[in-house]
Amino acid sequence: MEKTYSPISPDQSTGRGRIRRWFSGIPVLGWIFGALVAVVLEYYLGDALSEVLGLEKVPALFGVTLILKKPLLLPKCLMFVGLIYVIPISVVAKYLSPLTNRIAGKLIQYPYGVSAVLHLALLYAVFYIWSDVSAYRLLTLKLSLIAVMITLSLNVVNGYMGEFSCSHPGFLALGAYGASVITVLFFVKDKLFGAPLLPPAIGPYLYPVALVLGGLLASVGALVIAVPSFRTRGDYLAIISLAFMFIVKSLIENLEIVGGPRGLSSQPGWSSLLTVFIWTVLCVWIINNFVRSTLGKAANAVRDDESAADAMTVNTRRTKVVTFMFAAFWAGVAGGLYAHVIRYANPGDFGIQKLADVLAMVYLGGLNSVVGSIVGAVGMSILGEALRPLGIYKWIIIPLLLILVMIFRPTGLIAFREFDVREILKPKRRM
Amino acid sequence: MKKGLVTITLFLLVGLLLSPCTWGRVKTIKIGINAPLTGDIPKVGEGTKYAAEMWLEDVKAAGGIEVGGKRYPVELVIEDNESKAESAVKVQTKMITEDEVLVIVGPQSSKQAVPAGGVADNYKTPMISPWSTNPDTTKDRPFVFRGCFLDPFQGPVVANFITKEFGFKKAAVLYDVASDYPKGLAEFFKKAWEDIHGPGSVVAFESFTTKDADFSSQLTNIIKSGAEVLFTPQYYNEVALIVQQAHELGFNKPIVGSDSWGSAETVNLCGKDCYGLFFSTHYAAAGATGATKEFIDRYRGKYGYVPDDVAALTWDSLHIVQKAIESCGKLTGRIGKDRKAVRDAMAKIKDFHGITGKMTFTEEGDPIKCAVIVRISEKGEFEFYKSVCP
Repeated sequence: MEKTYSPISPDQSTGRGRIRRWFSGIPVLGWIFGALVAVVLEYYLGDALSEVLGLEKVPALFGVTLILKKPLLLPKCLMFVGLIYVIPISVVAKYLSPLTNRIAGKLIQYPYGVSAVLHLALLYAVFYIWSDVSAYRLLTLKLSLIAVMITLSLNVVNGYMGEFSCSHPGFLALGAYGASVITVLFFVKDKLFGAPLLPPAIGPYLYPVALVLGGLLASVGALVIAVPSFRTRGDYLAIISLAFMFIVKSLIENLEIVGGPRGLSSQPGWSSLLTVFIWTVLCVWIINNFVRSTLGKAANAVRDDESAADAMTVNTRRTKVVTFMFAAFWAGVAGGLYAHVIRYANPGDFGIQKLADVLAMVYLGGLNSVVGSIVGAVGMSILGEALRPLGIYKWIIIPLLLILVMIFRPTGLIAFREFDVREILKPKRRM
Repeated sequence: MKKGLVTITLFLLVGLLLSPCTWGRVKTIKIGINAPLTGDIPKVGEGTKYAAEMWLEDVKAAGGIEVGGKRYPVELVIEDNESKAESAVKVQTKMITEDEVLVIVGPQSSKQAVPAGGVADNYKTPMISPWSTNPDTTKDRPFVFRGCFLDPFQGPVVANFITKEFGFKKAAVLYDVASDYPKGLAEFFKKAWEDIHGPGSVVAFESFTTKDADFSSQLTNIIKSGAEVLFTPQYYNEVALIVQQAHELGFNKPIVGSDSWGSAETVNLCGKDCYGLFFSTHYAAAGATGATKEFIDRYRGKYGYVPDDVAALTWDSLHIVQKAIESCGKLTGRIGKDRKAVRDAMAKIKDFHGITGKMTFTEEGDPIKCAVIVRISEKGEFEFYKSVCP
C-alpha cells in the first residue's frame, strides 16, 4: 500500500524492496543448495569458529537458547549465525541461481516426481548433516517432523472438513500402542510379552508394517467417531470426540496386558531420521493429494454447507467416514513413530495436554492449508524448545503469541492456501 | 543502508569486547536437574528446585566439590520437563549433549523417569531419580539409580505393620486404577497380606479412576465386606475425601496409607478426620532428629513450609551424587570417562546415611533402606512412630 503512494522512483526504492529484488529469481533448489553449503560449513568449521568467538559449543538452535540464558552472548551468536548460515546461504543461493535455474528447468521437463525426489534427497542431506552435530538437534528435528504429521492429519478434519474434533490424542495413542505392541511382541525380549517371536534382525524391515497396522487400528477407532458425526455438529461433536479420547485413555489404563498405567517401554529405537523423514514426506504428499482430490473438495463442501452439499449429490456420510478414517490413519502412524522415538508409551501422555498442543499448532499455522500446518507444527516445536530457558514465562509468551495471531489472523498464519508442488519446483526467472 | 551496516558492525564489535571472556575456561562440575516445574505437579518441581538450591549453597560455601585434592566449582542446570514424557526426553538429551552435565538428578515421576532413564543409559550418563517407583526406570539400566524404595518393598512393610500392630486378619484396599503408583502399591499390598493371612483375606479390593470425588459405592462395599482395616495408597487430595466419606458412612476402623500421604496438604484438607491414622513413608518431619531436623528447619526457615518427601529425597540424591563424585578419585576432563567413574563410584556406595535413612544400592540401582511409620497426632502433626527395615 505504502509503495504506491511513495514518491521515490522504483530504482531507488527502500532497502527491503532492494533485498527482495536481489533475492528474486532464486529457485527452491538454490535455497536448498545454499542450506547444504551452510550445514557443511558448520559441520567442518563450526567448532573452530565457536572457539574463536568464545562460545562454549556450536549453538544448538541458532543460538536462541544461549541468548536467552546469557543476553551478553547476543553479538557472538549473531556473528556465528551470520557467518555460518545467513551469508553462505544468501551468497550461494544468489550466485548459483543461473545454474540452479537451469537445472530446475531441465528437471521440470521430466515427470515432476524426478525433480521432487531430487529436491527431497538434497533436503534430507541438509537435515542429516545439520542434526549430526548434536543429538539434541536430531531429537528436536524428529519430533518436529512427527508434529507436522499430527498437525496435518488434524487439519484434514478440523480445517478441511470443518468439524471440531478433539479425538486426536486418542488416535495417537491407538497408533502408538498398536505399533509398539507389534514391535515389542515380535522383536524384543520384554517382561510383558517374554521372548521375541521372530528374529530381531528382520525387525527393521517389518517396522513399516507395524506402523501401518497401528495406523489402521486408529482408523478403526475413527469409525466410532464418524458414525455419531452423521447426526451431530459443532460443540456436540467436540464433546463426543473428547469422550472418545478419554475412553481410549482409560481403556489402555485398564489393559494390564500392555502395562496399564505403568506404560509400555522397551520399544526398539527404529525411528531413525530417515524413517521419520520418509514417513513425513509420504504423509504430506498423500494428504496434499487427498485434499485436492474430489473427496477433499467434497469435505470442503461439507464444511461450508452440509445440506447444500447433500443436495448437490455429495455423499456426505461417505465423505465424513473416509475423511475421519484417513486422518486417523496418519495420526496413528505418527503415534507409532513417536512411541519409537521416545521409546515409551504411557496413557497419561495422550490426554488434554497433548490435545491443547496439537490444536495450538493447527490454529497457529492456519486452517485448510498444508503449508500452514507445516509452519504451525515446526514453529511451535522450535519455539517451545527455543524459549525453554525462560522457564515459566514461556507459558506466558506462547499463549500471548497465540492470542495475537487469533486477533490479527483469525484463521491462522497461512490459512486457505494451496500447496502446489509443481509451482514450488519450477525455475524462477529474474524479474 | 551503509549507515546501517556500520552500526551493526560497531554494535557487534563492542558486544564482543564486553561479553564475558570464556577463553580461560574454568572447569566446573555441572549437575543436571530434570524437574516438573510446570504442568500437572508443579509443587513437586518446586520442592526439587528448592532442595537443589539449598544443596548448592552448601557446596558453594565449602568452595566446591573436592575430587582428588582439587576443588571444582559446581553449577546446576535446572530444566523444566513440563511433566511430559516428550519434554523429559528432550531435556535429558539437551543436558547430556549440549550442557555436558556430569550427573543428572531427576525426573521425579515415573512417567518421565522411565523414558529419560533410557536416554541417560544410552549416553552412559549416571542418573538418579529421587522419587520414581516404577521398576522399569532402573531395570537393565546400569547407569540409572533411584533414591526411594520400591513398591514391592513398601507393600509388605505396611502389611506386616498392620498385622503386628493390630492383629487384624481382614483388610480392604481402595485405590486409583488409572495411576501407576497407587495401583502398583495396592497390588503388592494385597499379595503380601494374602501371603500372611491366606487367600481371600483381602476382603474388598475396590478401585476408582483419577479425579473421581465420590467413593460412597466403593466404601459401602468395603464396609459390607467386614474389613477390619482400610489401606488406601492415594495422594493427599483423595485421602481427605476418602477418609471423610468413610467416616460419614460409619467406617470407624483404622485407615492406613503410604508415602503419598506425606504432604503438608493431607492434614490441611482432611482435618480432624485424619488424626490418629498411620502411613508408611521415607521420613517423618515431626520428631525428627539430627541431620533430618536440621534440613527441615532450614528449609522451613527459607521457604516457609515443611519440606515433603520429594525435597528430602532430592536432598539425599544430591548428597549421594556428591559422595560419588568425591570418591571417584580424579576428574580427567573427558566427560565420558568421568561419567563412567562417577557411575561406578555410585554403584559402590554402601551404608549411606541420608536424611531419609541408611541406604545401599542393589545390582539394579535400587536402594535398600528402612521405611518409617508415621502417626498423624491429635495436633495434626506427622509423628515418628516406628522404623521398619527389610
